[in-house]
Amino acid sequence: MPVIGLFFAAAYRWLAPRRCWLFAVTLLLLVASAWAASSLRLEENIATMLPDGNNGVAEDFQLLQEAPFARKLVISIKAEAGSDPTRLPAVVDALTAALDPGLFTHLASGPDQRLQTRLMPWLIASLPNLASADDLTAMAKRLEGEGAAEALRRGYEQLLGPEGWALKNLIRRDPLDLRRIGLEKLRYLNLVPGVRLVDNHFISADGRSALLLAETPVSITDSAGAAALEQGFEQARGQLPEGYSALLVSAHRYTLANARVIQQDLWSILGCSGIALLLIFVLLLRSPRAVYVFLIPVAVLAFAGLAVAIRYPTVSAITLGFGAVLMGITVDFGLHVYYALRYGQGSSADLVGRVARPVLFGGLTTIAAFAVLLDSDLPGQRQLALFSIAGLTAALLLALLVLPHLVPVGSRPMTLPRPAPPPPSAKRRRLLVLVVWVLFCSWCAWQAPKVEINGDLRRMSLVPPELAAAEKTLAAEWGGFRDQAMIWTRAESPDAALASAATVWQSLAAADLPMVSLAPLVPPAAEQAENRARWQAFWNGPHGGKILAALEREAAELGFAAGAFEPFRQALSAPAPQVTLAGAREAGLDSLVDALVVPAGEGIRILTLTPDSPRVAALVAGLGPALRLVSPARFREEISSAIGADFLRFISGAGLLAGVLLILLFRRVDKVLAAALPVGTGLLGMFGIMGFMGIEFNLFNIIATILVIGLGMDYGIFMVCRYSEGQDMATGRAILASGLTTLAGFGALVLGRHPALHSIGVTVLLGIGCAIPAALLVIPALYGRRQVRR
Amino acid sequence: MTRLLRFLCVVFIWVLLAPALAGAGTEDQELVPVLDRLAEAAAGIETLASDFVQEKYLAVFQEALRSGGRFYYQKPDRLRWELRTPVVTGFALDGNSGRRWRGDEANSESFDIRQDPVMKVVAEQLLAWARPDFSWLQAHYRLILVATAPVELRLEPRFETAGMIDYLQIVFAADGSHVAQVEIHDRDGDYTRLRFSATKVNLPLDRKLF
Repeated sequence: MPVIGLFFAAAYRWLAPRRCWLFAVTLLLLVASAWAASSLRLEENIATMLPDGNNGVAEDFQLLQEAPFARKLVISIKAEAGSDPTRLPAVVDALTAALDPGLFTHLASGPDQRLQTRLMPWLIASLPNLASADDLTAMAKRLEGEGAAEALRRGYEQLLGPEGWALKNLIRRDPLDLRRIGLEKLRYLNLVPGVRLVDNHFISADGRSALLLAETPVSITDSAGAAALEQGFEQARGQLPEGYSALLVSAHRYTLANARVIQQDLWSILGCSGIALLLIFVLLLRSPRAVYVFLIPVAVLAFAGLAVAIRYPTVSAITLGFGAVLMGITVDFGLHVYYALRYGQGSSADLVGRVARPVLFGGLTTIAAFAVLLDSDLPGQRQLALFSIAGLTAALLLALLVLPHLVPVGSRPMTLPRPAPPPPSAKRRRLLVLVVWVLFCSWCAWQAPKVEINGDLRRMSLVPPELAAAEKTLAAEWGGFRDQAMIWTRAESPDAALASAATVWQSLAAADLPMVSLAPLVPPAAEQAENRARWQAFWNGPHGGKILAALEREAAELGFAAGAFEPFRQALSAPAPQVTLAGAREAGLDSLVDALVVPAGEGIRILTLTPDSPRVAALVAGLGPALRLVSPARFREEISSAIGADFLRFISGAGLLAGVLLILLFRRVDKVLAAALPVGTGLLGMFGIMGFMGIEFNLFNIIATILVIGLGMDYGIFMVCRYSEGQDMATGRAILASGLTTLAGFGALVLGRHPALHSIGVTVLLGIGCAIPAALLVIPALYGRRQVRR
Repeated sequence: MTRLLRFLCVVFIWVLLAPALAGAGTEDQELVPVLDRLAEAAAGIETLASDFVQEKYLAVFQEALRSGGRFYYQKPDRLRWELRTPVVTGFALDGNSGRRWRGDEANSESFDIRQDPVMKVVAEQLLAWARPDFSWLQAHYRLILVATAPVELRLEPRFETAGMIDYLQIVFAADGSHVAQVEIHDRDGDYTRLRFSATKVNLPLDRKLF
């Protein structure tokens, strides 16, 4: 018996008379670990499943969350065919009033009311800072000759009209209509393309839809709050007059839909897998004491939780939940020990010693697979790796040191079949198995390259048809304002960030690209100083003098009083106060400024929005590394490529480590290759069928691949031990039970409607579904002759 | 001492305000039948067509600015305001849609009062006086009866939304069927006087006017 076997056999003999102590200490450790693990602080954030290395994916994800509307509730109200669209503003106001103010806050159906009174004076006062050289040239051209007189005559006529009372002060401050320079810059602040203002309400270009924006105190991950939010919306929507409809799009609705589906899935999956496990228990295990085997995965959770709690202050709920599911594979260790003890022939210590080596190496190969993940770029995978390594270690110890004292030993010794000459058809059968296997593997190798990795986070959560339709309708009615590319500038000071944003604006404007930018309205200080100097030079120079003289002549002609335009003259001579972000907020542009300016630690980030295109990417790349271009489409590509690279590294690293362990265990190439056969077939089968069926890899089923690797290795090790070393111990039955429990536990996830659960189920079903026949049929076919000889 | 001062202040303010408050109550009592009578007189009006003279007393001008033109109204929401001297300009409104022109009416530009806040306020004011819509006026202004023959009302804005307007003074025609004169007083002391004359009631109006 190898050293490992001797060690565990000795351990069994030493512990046998001290069972009470063994159980007491195990129980104590279990309780203490569970208590310590309960201090784990969980965070429900998908960001932990995104790479946090130097590739910036995590930062991009964070920046995507900062996009305007990303955290808002977007409500679109539509006048259906046959109903009067002119009533939309009133309908929106009624809906606004009907929404629960505790759930729907900061409702905005139109621009800030302060805009009407504060914006124009602020804009006029800011003109010296805003007018560029081109603006001055265009202005001079417009006002030369009769231009100034014509501008004043227009103001005069407006004063004569009934609207004169509202424009009187405006004309006094700006008799030459210079404000049009500022108004031109305001058009770069339209976050929703095609929106019109009707009765101070956001109305779509076709006039049949209105937009209502809101915020909520409900956290995006709070499913109960999301349910209350949806109910509140439904109640308010119920009060809409006939012929008008409303739809709500927000991250909360995804949370709620996913929570509901997962709940439904859990019932159906748990029901199915429960029945399947019961059947396996009754048909294959047939002993009440086999329950201890199934307690191993439950018990190791406490130890694994403790290990993670020591290393990480907060742990992702996603990875922890996933790790807990993965720990289901530890049932295998118990199953092999159980079968060896129950059906093996010999003393208990001897049986433990014989089964210890394959169980230990099987466990070590799985640990090796997880160890590769410790170097992952995904923080969630690193947590998962530590969790799993600790859990697997604890499971190995429980299975080899504690479980043998709990299961019946030698109660049903297996009678080995008497050696007999192989039937004439056996060779043909083995040949057939090998031919089918080679053909299958060849076909899978052909199909496998078709598998794609999809980094779209939305593909990992359920998108109900009604929500997908709502998103589509919203995009059709309001343009794809939620999918624009974002160009972020980051700097320590607001002015440096504004300077960077101004560079972006100039580049995009030169390329004639549409955009949303704050830069034209709040230029950096240096540019403002330059504009001011140019402005003053113009008005103090010959051109400005001529225009002012023409204004004076025309004013006298029209009967204006001597000091009628004193505010205008004073503004021209007095130094204009610098335009600031705070000033823009005060002028009523606060919601727009807040949408485009985001604090970033000690510094500040400023956002420019533009339609996503390769041309934009090329432009931004040419502007230096300080800028960051982020868009949902670009992010999907980034994450797909990052996950793909991580996955390849993981597969090759795990393969290498497992190979080293197999070499250490078997020390012969043919045995190593035979042991790797189930895992190889499982992975190849999984990739091939996924490629054929167009099933993509995502963040979740990539991790589920570990399960296939870990279990596939176990099967190979046990089968090779059985056939090459004569350690039968009901190995085939143990592998069958192990495979069936895995399929019952994980394969049942394929019944889930939730994409993440379903994808895990598919991966495991295909991988294990191919690894089991490879272990039970192909390895015997390869070893068949020698086994018969043995 | 401070308490005594406060008490005296309260008494003083009360003595000053009491007659005014009592008067306000009396005015309200008188106002209701007057408004009812005006509403009754205007009830049968379908159209109005009138000349007007506008006098603007604005600080920005050396002298009062006189202009003249013609005004049309058709129930319920059609208006035409055209200035003929000293410049030709104006606008016409049909519901929410309108057009305005400078010089030649053929070169008019269209607008929608729902997208033009200034024109919306102008249209609301003109329609409220032309109809006359006393419930709208009472919602936006505090109405004070100044005289009864002819009826003269002072309208003080209830909300800031009325902008720079301090108050309006409206004089109705002797029969109460339509407005004869409107004065719009700004907070800075400027005011505009509109005098309507040769008013024709229920004259058939060409649809093209609006």
